[in-house]
Amino acid sequence: MARQQEPARPPARAPKSRAARRTAAVLTAALVATAPALTAAPPAAAEAEGADTLTIAASQPVDSFSPFLAQRLISTSIHRLAYDYLTNYDPRTNEPIPGLAESWTTSDDGLTWTYTIRDGATWSDGEPLTAEDAAWTFTTMMEDEGAATANGNFVANFESVEAVDATTLKITLKEPQATMLALDVPIVPKHIWKDVGDYSSFDNDEFPVVGSGPFVITGHKPNQSITLEANEDYWRDPPKFDRLVFRYMPERDAQVEALRAGEVSFVSGLTPAQADALKGTENITVNTASGKRFQGFTINPGARTQDGEEFGDGHPALEDRVLRRAIMRAIDKDEIVESVYGGYAEAAGGYVPARYDTYHWTPDASQRLDFDPGAANEMLDEAGYERGGNGVRVSPGGDPLKLRMHVHNDRPDYVAMGKLLVERLADIGIEVDNRTVDPGVLSDALYSGEYDLIFTGWTVNPDPDYVLGIHTCGALPTEPGTMRSDAYFCDKDYDRLYEQQLAAYDDPEGRAATVKKMQEILYEEAVVNVLTYADTLEAYRSDQIASIQVQPDPGGNIWGQDGHWSWSSAVPAADSRAGAAVSPWALAGLGAVVLVALGGGVYFLRRRAATAGDRE
Amino acid sequence: MSRAALAWTRRRRALAGYARAFAGNRGGMAGLAVLALIGLAALAAPLFIDADALSLTEAEGGRFQPPGPGYPLGTDAFGRSVLDLVVWGARISLTVGFLAAFVSVALGTLIGVVAGHFGGWPGNVLMRVTDWFAVLPALVMAVALAAVMTRSTLTIIIAIGVTAWPTTARVVRAQTLAVEARPFIERARALGGGHAHVMLRHVLPNVLPVVLAQTTLLVAEAILMEATLAFLGLGDPGTVSWGGIIQEARTAGAISSGIWWYMIPPGVAIAAVALSFTMCGRALEGVLNPRLRERR
Amino acid sequence: MAATEKAGTGRPAAGTRTRRGRPGLHPAVRYLGGRVLTALVSLLAVMVTSFFLFRVLPGDPVAALTQGRSVSVDQLEAMRRDFGLDQPLPQQFADYCLGMLTLDFGMSYQYRVPVADLIAERIGPTLLLAGTGTVIAAILGLVLGTRAGWRRGSLMDRVDTGVALTLWSVPSFWLGLLLIVLLASGAGLFPTSGMSSPGVEGAFAVALDVGHHMVLPVATMVAVVYAQYMMIMRSSVLDEMGSDYLTTARAKGLRDSVVLRRHAVPNALLPTVTLIFLNLGRVVSGVILIETVFAWPGLGSLFYSGLRVPDLPIVQALFVVFAGSVIVMNLLADLVYPLLDPRVRT
Repeated sequence: MARQQEPARPPARAPKSRAARRTAAVLTAALVATAPALTAAPPAAAEAEGADTLTIAASQPVDSFSPFLAQRLISTSIHRLAYDYLTNYDPRTNEPIPGLAESWTTSDDGLTWTYTIRDGATWSDGEPLTAEDAAWTFTTMMEDEGAATANGNFVANFESVEAVDATTLKITLKEPQATMLALDVPIVPKHIWKDVGDYSSFDNDEFPVVGSGPFVITGHKPNQSITLEANEDYWRDPPKFDRLVFRYMPERDAQVEALRAGEVSFVSGLTPAQADALKGTENITVNTASGKRFQGFTINPGARTQDGEEFGDGHPALEDRVLRRAIMRAIDKDEIVESVYGGYAEAAGGYVPARYDTYHWTPDASQRLDFDPGAANEMLDEAGYERGGNGVRVSPGGDPLKLRMHVHNDRPDYVAMGKLLVERLADIGIEVDNRTVDPGVLSDALYSGEYDLIFTGWTVNPDPDYVLGIHTCGALPTEPGTMRSDAYFCDKDYDRLYEQQLAAYDDPEGRAATVKKMQEILYEEAVVNVLTYADTLEAYRSDQIASIQVQPDPGGNIWGQDGHWSWSSAVPAADSRAGAAVSPWALAGLGAVVLVALGGGVYFLRRRAATAGDRE
Repeated sequence: MSRAALAWTRRRRALAGYARAFAGNRGGMAGLAVLALIGLAALAAPLFIDADALSLTEAEGGRFQPPGPGYPLGTDAFGRSVLDLVVWGARISLTVGFLAAFVSVALGTLIGVVAGHFGGWPGNVLMRVTDWFAVLPALVMAVALAAVMTRSTLTIIIAIGVTAWPTTARVVRAQTLAVEARPFIERARALGGGHAHVMLRHVLPNVLPVVLAQTTLLVAEAILMEATLAFLGLGDPGTVSWGGIIQEARTAGAISSGIWWYMIPPGVAIAAVALSFTMCGRALEGVLNPRLRERR
Repeated sequence: MAATEKAGTGRPAAGTRTRRGRPGLHPAVRYLGGRVLTALVSLLAVMVTSFFLFRVLPGDPVAALTQGRSVSVDQLEAMRRDFGLDQPLPQQFADYCLGMLTLDFGMSYQYRVPVADLIAERIGPTLLLAGTGTVIAAILGLVLGTRAGWRRGSLMDRVDTGVALTLWSVPSFWLGLLLIVLLASGAGLFPTSGMSSPGVEGAFAVALDVGHHMVLPVATMVAVVYAQYMMIMRSSVLDEMGSDYLTTARAKGLRDSVVLRRHAVPNALLPTVTLIFLNLGRVVSGVILIETVFAWPGLGSLFYSGLRVPDLPIVQALFVVFAGSVIVMNLLADLVYPLLDPRVRT
């Protein structure tokens, strides 16, 4: 707010007109009159936390309730609760399991998929849910650009989708596609949506929102809360909690305090310090899950287009694999795990996080680029990177090793890692210019190829196809600025393996082996460098939630699951009403506020009386 | 005695008078004492804090160690002593405060003196521009500027300096008008003094007291603004500043984790320095502005 | 926060200028017309600045919005088209200007709803918070300032002034965070953030609930700003005390408290109230930090969230709203001031 010193003094004043004086007096009176009313607003009686309401702290507001538009995790998580998908992921194993589709068959060429849609599923308004709804959803995404906003990539390869009858859905593909059992597309009701004019601006916010999931979205106070009610007719077991409330709380500290106070039942995205602090707290359970995300950085190997046109201004020496590998050897991943994540992370091996043990790959002893500054220095010495007078090495090409490093300023873990990297790389004679910037600035640098080191991280789905695909040569930009990838990586062997795994949809083990080989290439080339898989840290009130399903089980997370399992399985604790009682502290506070207000009122009244008495 | 020497003696006497008056203001003296102490600690910091203590990889303390022997204010996530960080942070925070205040005061003085001296339409145009800048929300402007430029301490200084000058310009213009109305300016003009001569030799020395008080008050603002920008994540990640420490504490979740020793000291330091500058500024204003002094 | 402008300083100059008006138009009309014209020009300039200031903000909103998610190149292109970012800059500027004139601020990139709707939705909470805070800070400032001025140099003056300046020196976000720890979670007296609890029904219960949520943000705001009102009131009272008519009044044998209440305070109120008025415009943008810390669903937190993307339509429109509210308040003060202060009247 505007803070002000004493202003330049107003000119000396002459006695004022009666009118002016009266105005001033009226103003004061008005101010005085409103004051006690405003200060005295006492705390509300702790709101009725209905018997079985589960309140979840959300750090983002929703962007849209339309499954065609929603991109934020909070929104897609809510869609998981309110809509059905063709397939789901098993809560224990992450493997695809039947969802709306009870079963499916594939043609021999892998181009035709036929799904049998569950009979008896209904929309929350009572209409039956049929294959027609699913066909309509996919077709609309294929035909309407607005409807493709959020999930268009799933249908980009679709040739046609048709509902053969009420329970049979047939999808024809242009090329084989590995994600046909991982189509994360909410199926929307055709009878509601077919009349929508413009999908790019339809926000689907007429409550209750007609859906088919275990919960129904019933209310939204923008930037405050979203309410969902249990769908008693859900074809799986109906949820145990009657109501879910997502409360928007952008501040992490506020979330934790709200959890302590019992205002919310669940918080996610804890910092390591918060997790440690909450561990010792009564009635709070901390859930530590191995993460779906990896954190790392990429090294600019020389930005180029698919046609081989070079652009950007990456440091030329970084085209040298030896230098890239030396950089990796200078970094202490265990140190990052300890000081950045307080131990709540795993030092990374391959590209796919350890959580997905089918695809996760670890380098063997001979391949490992373990922390060893001495070895890194030796590598660089041998490769002809001489140390200059100021301790900074100079490449054989004559360029000093001064590298820019772009770090997202909105991710505290990256910021801390960046600082560590600066010091560690200085040990091997590389000077780093730490550019901690807004994500937008960072992506500008990435797309224009004007960077040396740049931080990155991806949430890896149970099916790793997408995160692998972004490092194929086909992901390079067709012209500068249009890249899909985040690394300008291009390797013929990698591409060959990528095609191979894509076609191996019917051979899970073979596919996993191929995916591991791809990670090996990424590791050896040291362009895409994964540092850690950070744990997901969450906590809930065990006096409000008796039990809750994690995914995968054991060791999985609650928030951001691939499915609705956590909230549909959560069981209310027997004494969950206890939190609703008005605490003695609140009463004390109420008392204090009332006292102050009374005191103030009496003071003003007495002054009034005194003034009156003073009148001549 | 030459004219120059005479003028010098006159100014020295005035200065001594000001100093005495300032010494009589207890708030001002207390502020000055605190500032001197913090300034000294900041200057001498390299003597008793070695580089290792601030290094993320070399620091020896444990993670988030509470205050205890060896670490009077505990440690941060990397095991660095928070006391060391706060002392070291004074260097950046004070530098930013001073330089930003300097930039804005220099800009404001230039525009204020020119606008006041020339008057007429050029002065009017300058004051319109000033008014218009004053209308722009300072925080919003500073945030936008800091986001546009690369992350560095210099950026912060410029962002604060460029947004805070209109106040100074207005105050200086008013003072310039007052000075120019005095007879000695008339005399100087009659003796053939050009615009530059009048502005530099006569107006400037006479508006400087006001400017000085203004600067002192602005330093407090600048330090608060630096903390604010750092809090919004726009600080320079490579340096240790008070705002930066608060931001780090906040992102680590220190508040809700009971790690008070990470959060409280930098905030107290900011408040102490901002308060000290404000006290000094008020005292200076009282001393230098005779109209204010009369009524005290 | 930390706006360094002294709204008050521009005022007397304005008054002087109008007095020597050229003959012709009625001076009052000239004064009024001039003020309105100046305000309009300022507003126009703010609009232009807002467009270009945020266009140079580095960062591609489309890339930021899709960061870390699987998207195809077609999707990115479609988003760019949707946002109008594929148009050449002059075209974008023309669209922007036309939109502004019809109060159509465009669609938010993040929320895909008209920015005007978002602002309409958020302005209430901001005005509630900022208004309550200002009223309380003003009253506190006026009362304490009068006391301190009247008993200048007393222990009470020194303590009150010291406390006010100390609170003024504290970073508001830091104070807010401390209050959350101490009073919200520590003592459990107040909710930690937000404006209301879900599931509260009934007008009275909702009002109580919102009031309960307001206590900490308002307290933070008041703590940080009341010093300025207090200091101005204090110096105004000091000013009045030096004036002849007061000396006369006292010489006449009127009791001190009567002199204070009937003469000094009403006269000293004018500059202070004017200043409070002038500050109103600035308060709106001033609550950005407090709204952020307390997750108050107002314009400030909307701006903060928009800046990170950057959600250009939001930040542009809010910049105009923030600066515009200062302009409008300045204009109002310019128009009202002559009515209050006879010396400015011609």
